Amino acid sequence: MHLDLETRTRKDYIREQKSLHGRKVMGVFPAQYPRELLLAMNILPVEIWDPPLRTREASAHLQSYICSVVSLGLELILQGKCSDLDAFLFPHTCDSIQNLASIVNDYLGIHKPCYFFYHPKAPYKRASRPYYISQLKELKSGLEKQFGELRETDLKRSVDRWEEIRKDISKCYLLRSEGRLNTSNRAFYSILRRVEYLHPDDFHPLLTNFLQSGRTETERQGHGVLLSGVLPNPPEVLDHLDAIGVRVVDDDLLSCSRRFLSGPVSNSDPYEAMAETYFSLPPCSTRGSAIEERLNHILKKIRSSRADGVIFLIVKFCEPEFFDVPILADSLKKEGIPVLVLENEINQALSGQIVTRIEAFAEMLG
Amino acid sequence: MSIAPEIRYRFMKDIGAPLVMGMAGLKGKRKAAIKRDIPLGPPLKCSKRLKEIMTRHYFLSRYAEGARPVAWVTSGAPVELLRAFDFYTVYPENHGALCGAQKLGPELCSIAEGHGYNQDLCSYARIDIGVCLSGKTPVGRLPRPDILFASNNICQTVMYWYRVLAHHWKIPLMVFDTPFNFVSLDRSAITYMVRQFEEMIPELERISGRKFSEKKFKEVLRLGKSSAMAWGEVLATMKTVPSPMTIFDAFVHLAPIVSLRGLPVTLEYYNVLLSELKDRVSKGIGAIVNERKRLMWDNIAIWYKIRDFSRLFAERGMNFVTATYTNAWAETISYMDERNPMESLAKAYSLVILNNNLDHRLKLMERLIKEYQVDGLVIHSARSCKPYSVGQYDLKRLLMERLAVPSVVIEADITDFRAYSEEQTTTRLEAFFENIEDGG
Amino acid sequence: MKGWVIGIDVGSLTTDAVIMDEDKRVLSFSIVDTGYNSTDAAREAMTVAAGRAGLELEDVSRLVATGYGRAAVPEANKRVTEIACHAAGAVYLFPDTEMVIDIGGQDSKVIKVGKDGRVQDFVMNDKCAAGTGRFLEVMSAKLKIPLDGMGDISISARGEAAISSVCTVFAESEVVSLVARNCPKEEIVKGIHRSVVNRVWAMTRQLRVSGGVTMTGGVAKNRGVVALMEERVGRRINVPDEPQIVGALGAALFALREK
Repeated sequence: MHLDLETRTRKDYIREQKSLHGRKVMGVFPAQYPRELLLAMNILPVEIWDPPLRTREASAHLQSYICSVVSLGLELILQGKCSDLDAFLFPHTCDSIQNLASIVNDYLGIHKPCYFFYHPKAPYKRASRPYYISQLKELKSGLEKQFGELRETDLKRSVDRWEEIRKDISKCYLLRSEGRLNTSNRAFYSILRRVEYLHPDDFHPLLTNFLQSGRTETERQGHGVLLSGVLPNPPEVLDHLDAIGVRVVDDDLLSCSRRFLSGPVSNSDPYEAMAETYFSLPPCSTRGSAIEERLNHILKKIRSSRADGVIFLIVKFCEPEFFDVPILADSLKKEGIPVLVLENEINQALSGQIVTRIEAFAEMLG
Repeated sequence: MSIAPEIRYRFMKDIGAPLVMGMAGLKGKRKAAIKRDIPLGPPLKCSKRLKEIMTRHYFLSRYAEGARPVAWVTSGAPVELLRAFDFYTVYPENHGALCGAQKLGPELCSIAEGHGYNQDLCSYARIDIGVCLSGKTPVGRLPRPDILFASNNICQTVMYWYRVLAHHWKIPLMVFDTPFNFVSLDRSAITYMVRQFEEMIPELERISGRKFSEKKFKEVLRLGKSSAMAWGEVLATMKTVPSPMTIFDAFVHLAPIVSLRGLPVTLEYYNVLLSELKDRVSKGIGAIVNERKRLMWDNIAIWYKIRDFSRLFAERGMNFVTATYTNAWAETISYMDERNPMESLAKAYSLVILNNNLDHRLKLMERLIKEYQVDGLVIHSARSCKPYSVGQYDLKRLLMERLAVPSVVIEADITDFRAYSEEQTTTRLEAFFENIEDGG
Repeated sequence: MKGWVIGIDVGSLTTDAVIMDEDKRVLSFSIVDTGYNSTDAAREAMTVAAGRAGLELEDVSRLVATGYGRAAVPEANKRVTEIACHAAGAVYLFPDTEMVIDIGGQDSKVIKVGKDGRVQDFVMNDKCAAGTGRFLEVMSAKLKIPLDGMGDISISARGEAAISSVCTVFAESEVVSLVARNCPKEEIVKGIHRSVVNRVWAMTRQLRVSGGVTMTGGVAKNRGVVALMEERVGRRINVPDEPQIVGALGAALFALREK
């Protein structure tokens, strides 16, 4: 099972999901969306973060100052690689994704249904939560027109399931930060990121297996860093950290902990529960959290994971992240925590310059 | 509020400012004696009054600190609510445009860059952060804000930028969250926005130390709406051939509706401007000497090129007669209705061009092209402004397909001319001129 | 002679070697073109340096490699980044150094150094050729002025041409039109230098200037750039006699440290 998933491509997996399980497949753009709702309707969300492509067609639609997450996402559509998808979902993450959504829906004429999800932006008010719930319900009724009725019991089951998975993801993070998970940086993220397209039936066993097999009682060796930014990309950065013995002990990545590590759910109503999950997620630039809040969150993580430094891996042209970084970096440095800011395209090969920076940073850690 | 700043503010408002303005006026007169550009028509008489209004606004702002609650506000925020509490409002975007026009963009931006702010970030934001960090500004001094008021109806960028300001000034950030209209504005979004207003009122009462007056609020709405409609009429005069005003004039005369919306002076000013323009129309006076072609501008102005461009196009008998940018303040503010203040305010602010999907924008541009008899379109792809710029390449293609309107894209920035290439732009514009002349 | 070490800096343009004895005295150094094969270039640089010092390469007690090609030196006992090496080298030459500005051929970096000579923080340009030696190279070719003559030319300039574009390609076209407008060459060159300094200054600002400032890398030989940089940081800048070999010098110091 484990091995099988390793070797199968995402494309094969999607086709199999459709043919074997009769599932519909939704292409989902970053970052926050109610996956429980989709899964309850037997729709498999396949997230589009970093397709392994080169920009070719997208530059006819997007300026050169648009980030590679957005341009490669569009590239995937333009190169006709989305034929297996039944629809798209665009969460309202940033200006570029917002306009990408509108280009796809209004201008491209690709005849694929597009759904949108607007999540309220902090600072949250009393009005935010009811609005979030109304958005969930509107998305649901929109989807029902294409995918058939959603049964409340299915939704409840799906919400519970996702909570179980989130608990195990949290456990992975906890063990890793305590140094009790024997895994490479690369392996950790390659397992975790399978959540972006695997069905819970496949993802959850993979995760629990990873948890059980990786448990160790030996102390952490070498230096530990906290990774912040959007994605753990390019993955060669992880490889290089592995190679020089630097362990990622925790993260503040948008695609990872910032979407998964929410608090426990107490509400039995599934919509209330989903809202509870959303509003208890860690501070995030794309949801409007105050910089102070994010800083305190990172500091807390640094203390609990005994990280020696912080690496910001920022996708070039990513506005939400680049506005936060100077204050975060400055404040961390004032606390005596070394900081490295790397700016790169998501699929860019590791340049000699980035290698040098990473190594010089590791030298600074002592 | 202590008494001393209050008295000082009143003194400056009633006596100091007019005195200083008088002096500024003299300086202006001296300048006016310098030679006129040949291809341009007579200058607008109103410009002097506009300069007085804006200079006075910035001049007085330094005395507002301590005398009145001060807010820094985004250009698309529902400022009417703040006016009901007598806030003195400062518009960093307007200030950024002013710095841009004075070619100070790179200098102020680089201060922010020296503190780690990436060069690819919005240059209005970099200018503003540079100003906060250094205190440098061509207007003397900006007052320290008591509150920041931002709405994401124009972009998400202002949210990130204002969070930096909130951290810097250690003051509250009040956000008006306007759900983006991917398809259309729905009931739940209206309810959400109205509830936000209701929650803001007690908070604004606390910060300003003043009670909310519904009467005053309605008066502001009335004024705001009338000014926006007057501004709309001002723009509509440009439908005349030849147009009595160019869009470059409009970029400048836009300042009051952006920064002083809801104040009597704005309405007063646009009425004066309107009668001057109507007078020109009746006499057949055009803004440029020989208007042969009529153009539309898309996106925010390239502030440091206004003067050069106005001459460059006038020399070829080309006049910009409409812009999506200037139109934005006339388009939806007129929805405001004092009989249903909160809901109408929510609509007025969430239906603006940048909070709407690209299909809406395409249709709006098609309408403007027809109404203003546009022969060509100049698209400013502004590095600073992603919500305005992403989608422009498709817009260009679609407008060509549907209306056969020739167009050109200029890759530039609103204020940071380090991201602008004179040579590349000239080549593109020359090709556009050839194209448009061929089209008859 | 016993106990001597080699520091080698394999850069993208040149490969430099420094030979040092146990008392931290520089015995010799060499600078060779890196060419296509970093390993060969490293051997050549070491052989030349050893020859100059009258030593046999077999007798080297320790070798530390730095620079982009540091992995391509199989004989190295240790590899250290050029950031740590420039810091160590600069402090060795100028003990008051608290900030190192290295403008190299492919990139530039600003390093904050502690009293102990260790790196406290650093910034590197991550954009493009702007603010690097490469930018000067492109412009020198455009203006047909030899690279090493640009500094002296700009010093004689009375005025200064404004070059606003950050992008090398845009700036190149600005230079072309300045030439077409008969703008004096020296003023254009000064404008070009200003552009480099402005880019590097943005990085310097991030680390807050303090203490002695030392400039390393090939561009430090350009008097025009140094003068404008001094104006910007508001203090005199230390410039080594051989700014190019500071990285290799630092590597040699690391070799001694580990002995």
